[in-house]
Amino acid sequence: MSKPADLVQGTLDLLILKMLALEPLNGWAIGQRLKQLSSEVLQVSDGSLYPALHKLEQEGWVTAEWRQSENNRRAKFYSLTRAGRKQLQIEAGNWDRLASAITALVRLQEV
Amino acid sequence: MAIDRFLRIVSLRLRSLFRRNDVEQELDEELHYHVDQQTAENMRRGMPADTARADALRAMGGMGGIELRKEQVRDTRGTRWIEELAGDARFALRSLRRARGFATAVVLTLALGIGANTAMFTLLRGTVLRPLPNRHGEQLVYLRQSAPGVQHANVLFSVPEIADYRASAKTLTAMAEYSSVLPFTLVGDDGAPVRIATAVVSGNYFHVIGLGSVLGRVMSVHDDGPAAAPVAVLSYAFWMDHFGGDPHVVGHTVRANDQVATIVGVLEPAPQYPERTDVYVNTVTSPHHLSATMVTERQHRMSEVFARLAPNATVEQARSELDRIASNMFRDHPEAYEKAAHYELSLSTLRDAENERASLMFWLLMGAAAFVLLIACANVANLTLMRGVGREREMLVRAALGASNGRLRRLLAVENLVLALAGGALGLLVALAGLRLLVVFAAQFSPRADEIRVDGVVLAVGLVTSAVAAIALSFVPRIGGDHTLVMPLAPAGRRTTIGRGRQRVQRSLVVAQVALSMVLLTGAGLLVRTLAKLDAVETGVRADHVLTMDLPLQGDLPREVMKQPQNLARYEAVRDRVAALPGVDVAAVGMAAPLRPSMLDMDVKAENRVIPPNRPTPHGAVKTVDPNYFVAAGISLLGGRGFEATDRRGTARVVVLSQSFAKQLFGDEDPIGRRVAFSGQMLKFTPFTDEWRTVVGLVGDTRDRGLDRDPTPTLYEPFAQEVIVNGTLLVRTTADPAVLQPMIARAIHEVAPHQLIEHVATIEQIRDETVAPRRLNAMFISSFGALALVIAMVGIAGVLAFSVSTRTAEIGIRMSLGADAPRVRRMVLGEGGVLLAVGVVIGLAGALFATRLLHSLLFGITPHDPATLGAVAFVLAAVGVAACWVPAERAASVDPAVALRAE
Repeated sequence: MSKPADLVQGTLDLLILKMLALEPLNGWAIGQRLKQLSSEVLQVSDGSLYPALHKLEQEGWVTAEWRQSENNRRAKFYSLTRAGRKQLQIEAGNWDRLASAITALVRLQEV
Repeated sequence: MAIDRFLRIVSLRLRSLFRRNDVEQELDEELHYHVDQQTAENMRRGMPADTARADALRAMGGMGGIELRKEQVRDTRGTRWIEELAGDARFALRSLRRARGFATAVVLTLALGIGANTAMFTLLRGTVLRPLPNRHGEQLVYLRQSAPGVQHANVLFSVPEIADYRASAKTLTAMAEYSSVLPFTLVGDDGAPVRIATAVVSGNYFHVIGLGSVLGRVMSVHDDGPAAAPVAVLSYAFWMDHFGGDPHVVGHTVRANDQVATIVGVLEPAPQYPERTDVYVNTVTSPHHLSATMVTERQHRMSEVFARLAPNATVEQARSELDRIASNMFRDHPEAYEKAAHYELSLSTLRDAENERASLMFWLLMGAAAFVLLIACANVANLTLMRGVGREREMLVRAALGASNGRLRRLLAVENLVLALAGGALGLLVALAGLRLLVVFAAQFSPRADEIRVDGVVLAVGLVTSAVAAIALSFVPRIGGDHTLVMPLAPAGRRTTIGRGRQRVQRSLVVAQVALSMVLLTGAGLLVRTLAKLDAVETGVRADHVLTMDLPLQGDLPREVMKQPQNLARYEAVRDRVAALPGVDVAAVGMAAPLRPSMLDMDVKAENRVIPPNRPTPHGAVKTVDPNYFVAAGISLLGGRGFEATDRRGTARVVVLSQSFAKQLFGDEDPIGRRVAFSGQMLKFTPFTDEWRTVVGLVGDTRDRGLDRDPTPTLYEPFAQEVIVNGTLLVRTTADPAVLQPMIARAIHEVAPHQLIEHVATIEQIRDETVAPRRLNAMFISSFGALALVIAMVGIAGVLAFSVSTRTAEIGIRMSLGADAPRVRRMVLGEGGVLLAVGVVIGLAGALFATRLLHSLLFGITPHDPATLGAVAFVLAAVGVAACWVPAERAASVDPAVALRAE
């Protein structure tokens, strides 16, 4: 695959929640981490990350606080709330169902 | 939603709203941090510094990317609409200021509609809708015994009857008695007597009715029985009016009918039913209520009964149980319940009983007001539609500059909201201004008029009405037209015509207005016709310049009645003194004024006549009158003679019958010279005797029970020959009675210094009393009808004017091709005429349906009275054509040359 895959609608939320479930991160770091962990397959456009993050914050799934980053600058770190953890389970479950359904379809034997 | 998440969301929203600068600054910092990090990362990968930064910015979305992202983030906050609202409102005000005529028309129309609705809702809420102020008022029921067979709507209850219900009823927990039949005179410290509305109540009355005191105490069961001390509880209004709200009134004594009673408390303000009551006293204060016959006789009915439902008992259960008890009672005591009288027991919730008269009336008015609002909204919708056409270009420009459809719609909604709220506020002022009038009006129909006030609920309803009107109006520019606000292909020039769809909507709105006006005006017309019919009713009393006034006996009535000779002498002296006054033509004295019901009605039997068993015993009002009475009242003598001065005690007993009573007693036979006597069980409770009396005269009937009721069968006796229970003076004057009134009062007080003078009224005024509530009602509905008519006519004229203005060019072409002015005028009038005709026809159908509700309020006409329907249709058409004339005239005066050059 030469080009990073376009994200399936709505999966960005799931990915962000998952990243934050591992540890609290700032916005830039979330983008970097996503790229690394997916071996550069998933690339989130820097711009679309922030509206998504703020939406999750407004929904109460994640919470933010200002902390010193590794390079000693103030950065906004996001972490998962209790409600967010539940939401992650729900969305992960949804994703599993969707993925296995699509996988099953794709693997159908062609006659 | 988990509570912690909810709180988190709320605090975030509040922060976005109130700490906007902090939030914005953080966002800026966050995004710049990202760009800096990315730039550093890019440089680490070997990019030159400036390229690295440019690339980082590009990743954000290129030029202005940061600002774009900020906007997207702001959208996630869900608070933008609030932030923009103030701006929208400012914009709305600015754009409305540019369209001042439009704004004024809309605000005024809405103000009238919303004002009428708020006022009527205030009325309805204060009386019919609000729960009773009594504790657990929903459990309160009111019992009523009636005898429809002898046209008695309320015969009250006797002590043995109440005892029977009390003993057997399981669905009721407590029953209280309330008796206001005896007149009471209260003598205060200054020695001047006043007549007060007094009720003798059982000790448990206040407990049952669920009312407490604002001062002192109310009565309890310890105040029952002959051994208790006489006590009085003042009503709140009486305490305020008579004692000036004196906080030390408790402990004072009052002399009520010569009994000294101690004031023990003041009742909290509450509606009074079935009658206004000034003072509540216990049984011992009224010797009559403790008398032997009162306690033991089943037919000695003097009390109203209030009760409380047992827990878990429903009104239906109570009703069927009491029905059963009542029918057993009627069966076990046939002597007390005449078959033909059809005794009945009814039970209703106290709330329904109190609202009985008001309910229909107020709901009708509410409906009429709602019609006015509908018409007003239709009118405003049309105005908005017309304005919308002129603004299409504006909307197009805004859309081209990037405003989304939803944004534009919101802009319009805010504009409408500003209009509607202004209209609503003005309407509320209208309602507030009319509040006093409303209370006076409501008092005619409901004991709860005092509770009418503009409260939070009323305000809320006014606000919601305004908001709903605004929201409805925001959709108007779209209905019938294209489904986007902005026409995809608007011509470069000014669009001045409107699509067929919108024209149809406009026209439908006009038709709806005309139809609704037709319905309202028909209702008003029927009520006005009813008044006219009532005015034409023959009362049987023909007298102008006749002043009447009650001069009641004062003190304990049963005892006063025994003093007949003194009382007669006093009344005759008063009469003769007044008769001698200059300007007085005739003075007469009787027991009750003409057209006012008598205090007494009796069973009467005729000598040598047998009543068929299925017919009720002849029953009529009894009035004692002196020889001048018939002359003074203008009651016509149809046969025999009137009374003479010689018809006094000790001479042969004589009576005069009214025509309908003579017919009841003697059929078609000549009654003169025949004999009649009082009969029935009730006789023994009265000071009257059952001697035979000879009929010496026959007089015309009078309608004492109201103009809309049948004539009252009446038996007249000579005032000087019978016991006296009340005195009423009739004075026929040659001058204006109002001018003579003080002189007459002085003359009375010269003869009888402490005599009370009450109910001073001319006979015309008495006649008018029964019509007054109807007149008020007709006035209200008529003014709503007039309002509707004006709004609808402005509407139709406006739509035609608009149509003419958009068709100036077309008219110019027509005229240059040979159409002359009358032809153009006819064209426009025809356009309006079609709308009017369709509206009138639909309205007619609606009126035929809606006016059935009015049935019980009409007199002498049917709800489908063709004359009314015809007249209303004619008026509507005539006024409509007149309204269309203005735009038609403008169309006819179009100069084709000017019109065509303008294109």
